[in-house]
Amino acid sequence: MNYTIASEFTVLIDAIESHLVGKKETIALSLATFFAGGHLLLEDIPGVGKTTLAKHLSQVLGLDFGRIQFTSDMLPSDILGVNYYNQKEGAFIFKKGPIFTSFLLADEINRSMPKTQSALLQAMEEGSISIDGTLHALPMPFFVIGTQNPHEEAGTFPLPTSQLDRFMCSFGIGYPDRDSEREILKGERGHSSTLSDSLLTPQKIEGYMKQASEVTLSETLLDFLQEIIAYTRESGLFEYGLSTRGALSLTAMAKSWAMLQGRTYATADDLQAVTSVVCSHRLQFKEGPTTAKRIHHEIFTHVRSDI
Amino acid sequence: MLSLKHLQDTKLSSLALLDTAYIIVLLPLMLILKIPMLLFSFMVLLLLFFKKTPADKYLILFVFLMGVLALYLSLYGLFSFRGLSRLKLFLELLVYVLIIVVSMQRLTREINFYLLLSPMLFLALSLFFFHSILMLSYVIVEIFFLLWLLLAQRMDGDMIESFRAGMVMFMYSLPWVVVLFIFFPRISFDHADYGFKGENIQRMGHDGTMFLDSKALLVPSDRIVMEVGFDKEIPSSDKLYFRGSMLYVDKKDHWEPLPSYIKRENRTDDPIEGETVDYKVTLYPTQKHWIYLLDMPVRAVNDSEMDRDLISTVEKPIKSPLHYAARSALSPTLHDNLDQVTLDASTHFDPTRNPRTYQEAQKIKKRFEDPEKRASALVKFFQKQSLTYSLKPKALDINNTADSFLFDQRLGYCVHFASSFVTMARMSGIPSRIVTGYRADKANSLKNYLPVKERDAHAWAELYLDGHWVRFETTSTASSIDVESAQLLGTNTREKNKTFMESANLYLMYVKYQVETWILYYSHIRQLQLIQYAKDNPRFVLLFVLSLLALVLITFSITVYFRRPRCTHKILCIIEPLVKKLKKEGYIREKNETMHQYFLRYMKDHPDNSALKEVDRYYEAISYGGDTSAAALKQLKRVVKKSVSP
Repeated sequence: MNYTIASEFTVLIDAIESHLVGKKETIALSLATFFAGGHLLLEDIPGVGKTTLAKHLSQVLGLDFGRIQFTSDMLPSDILGVNYYNQKEGAFIFKKGPIFTSFLLADEINRSMPKTQSALLQAMEEGSISIDGTLHALPMPFFVIGTQNPHEEAGTFPLPTSQLDRFMCSFGIGYPDRDSEREILKGERGHSSTLSDSLLTPQKIEGYMKQASEVTLSETLLDFLQEIIAYTRESGLFEYGLSTRGALSLTAMAKSWAMLQGRTYATADDLQAVTSVVCSHRLQFKEGPTTAKRIHHEIFTHVRSDI
Repeated sequence: MLSLKHLQDTKLSSLALLDTAYIIVLLPLMLILKIPMLLFSFMVLLLLFFKKTPADKYLILFVFLMGVLALYLSLYGLFSFRGLSRLKLFLELLVYVLIIVVSMQRLTREINFYLLLSPMLFLALSLFFFHSILMLSYVIVEIFFLLWLLLAQRMDGDMIESFRAGMVMFMYSLPWVVVLFIFFPRISFDHADYGFKGENIQRMGHDGTMFLDSKALLVPSDRIVMEVGFDKEIPSSDKLYFRGSMLYVDKKDHWEPLPSYIKRENRTDDPIEGETVDYKVTLYPTQKHWIYLLDMPVRAVNDSEMDRDLISTVEKPIKSPLHYAARSALSPTLHDNLDQVTLDASTHFDPTRNPRTYQEAQKIKKRFEDPEKRASALVKFFQKQSLTYSLKPKALDINNTADSFLFDQRLGYCVHFASSFVTMARMSGIPSRIVTGYRADKANSLKNYLPVKERDAHAWAELYLDGHWVRFETTSTASSIDVESAQLLGTNTREKNKTFMESANLYLMYVKYQVETWILYYSHIRQLQLIQYAKDNPRFVLLFVLSLLALVLITFSITVYFRRPRCTHKILCIIEPLVKKLKKEGYIREKNETMHQYFLRYMKDHPDNSALKEVDRYYEAISYGGDTSAAALKQLKRVVKKSVSP
């Protein structure tokens, strides 16, 4: 992937990278997802740094961090909160659940029952929850990193595609490369115990989000984008094509990725860079395994960008 | 191609396309429309221009009535159709009716089957009215345009795409057209009066009568009477005498051939000697029977009869261009055993007329016994008379034409010279006669092509000396030429170099002649000739096959050119030279590569290429940043140019 992150964002990435060695691109994509206003699904085996990424990301962004470990006996109220009767005051009082945080790590989301899952996913979509008819707004910004273990199947409730659609991006972290791992093994870098400094203010975050939404999409790029969307729907390779929400996610990610590189317009390269992470959990090949790499290859060898 | 670029963004509505088609097909027909019909067409145009809404039925009725009125006025006095000879009138009527119907249809502002079909009908009809190479070219253009417009209509008015498609179709058909043209079995019509048969305007020609009175008016017209193509080099001007008619009988104010009831002996010997020359003639309509052959024709040409005096005639008057191949021996003399009838005819004169000429002739007759010496004495006498060549002579005394010319007026042209000379020769006892025809000038020829014009019409004398008819160029006895005639004949300019316009005109005529010979008049005879020639010349076959291959190659490349991926994207067009350059260096853009990635790949191997970096930057800013201002495009063009230059 060809990209050059603008200096104001390299600072953020480097800060996190000192704890998650050799994963600059993953970090950058996570940041892009955050600035695009979406949520992130990390799909990987335990122990590659999912939690580390989430924790330090929240630190650097200066957001309060909440974490829910999903289990099979969890109920929606364990996430959202409950109305309880306060005898002292003689009234029902709402006790906020752990979801009331700006940065939520929803660990092993597929371990809970569909009912509980959907409670979370609805909150992610709407930015608010309703309990007993009362609407409770979630803090802004509200960013969720969900994780799931792709290989473990016993006692899990896999998320249906419609639910997965709520996540803007999905990717794995993967093993570190040889050199990075050596550094970690030597104990020179990658101590997750020390915390990162907060580098952004809420105002700045808001500014960046606005900036990302204002990135220009040229007509030629929209043509290209629509061809990509049409290909996922019409090629017959996939179970079903990209949804409109998926398409919107694609544009939002491309814009945010363009902003990370300090540009005011998105290019075909940006689209190429984000397509697989936006699509890998949304598209399912009819035959053979669905991997980000394969999706990227299939789409971009068939949809030609003339520009 | 500049205009095509403008067209690129133009999408024409179906009605606009249809109007264009009508303008194209009606343009030549406008030339034959009579004034009332022209006015009617103009009225319809105005209506179309000012009334943008569909016409109601009253307006349509009005247009119909006006059309009928225009039709009536146009053809008033011509309504007497007799057989197919009036075919042209029928066709004209058809054109008028079609114009009225189309006008009515068009005013409704709807497209229907009739409107779509009518341009083709007009095209077909125009073929009947025009018979020239110009029209052939125009028809080819017309067909292409109609094809283009038809395709454009199919392609929702995309002019540029349909142009390309039309061109490809046209190009694909080209080799087939050539092969079919040459080898498709041909049917030859003898007297088809319409179609591309060349111009049909009547030429004067000779009618076998030579007037000496006021009717004798020589028009120095440049209208072409015949076009001659020689197989080899054109003989010199003094040999370019085309024999037309032979005049024996002096009728005071005019000369005539022998009456047809007079039977003369047939020739028993072959009168021709000397080197021969082969040539092909296209003779334009003269409405007469004579055909013209170089002195002296060796044999009669097809479908014609040649008499004892080597004068050729055809059975019917020539009404459409006549083509014939002939062979002549370039001899000024013709061997003849004078039979009694010819002798009588060529020695007869009226002793009561031209007393002065008779006196002089008698003097010569007495002084010289030898006919040849008498003849040269005659020439000397003519030269002594200080006669002036003039195209505008004064009227002669009809009773004594020779006297009047030789002693009084002393002004005249070939007719006067020849008739006086023959009269005097007869008086001095030499059998003589007048030949009329054409004398061409080699100066007016190009390569092997010689156009003969009306101004080349000529008359000369033939005297019977020592068993031969000998040609005498009587006009050359003139001692001067009047200024006006010199100008009219263009003698002055002929002496100098030809002007540019004259040469250009001659060259155009030559090209036209070649095209007509090999395309318009390509008949089954020529086809057979060609096949025979090919049988005898294997090299020609090879050449032909090679040129056909070349044609196919050209067609193919043009087709490829028109089918090449079109550079529609304004920005892609600008960087195309750069992409071509990278391609040449072996960097072919991968299918899944964006332009930026492509450039990066190149820059990886050529890190010092700063121009490319700039191109990349401008390209992205324009392509994605939305800065499509003219200045930005210009800037991109500049950096692309910089990056391409070595």
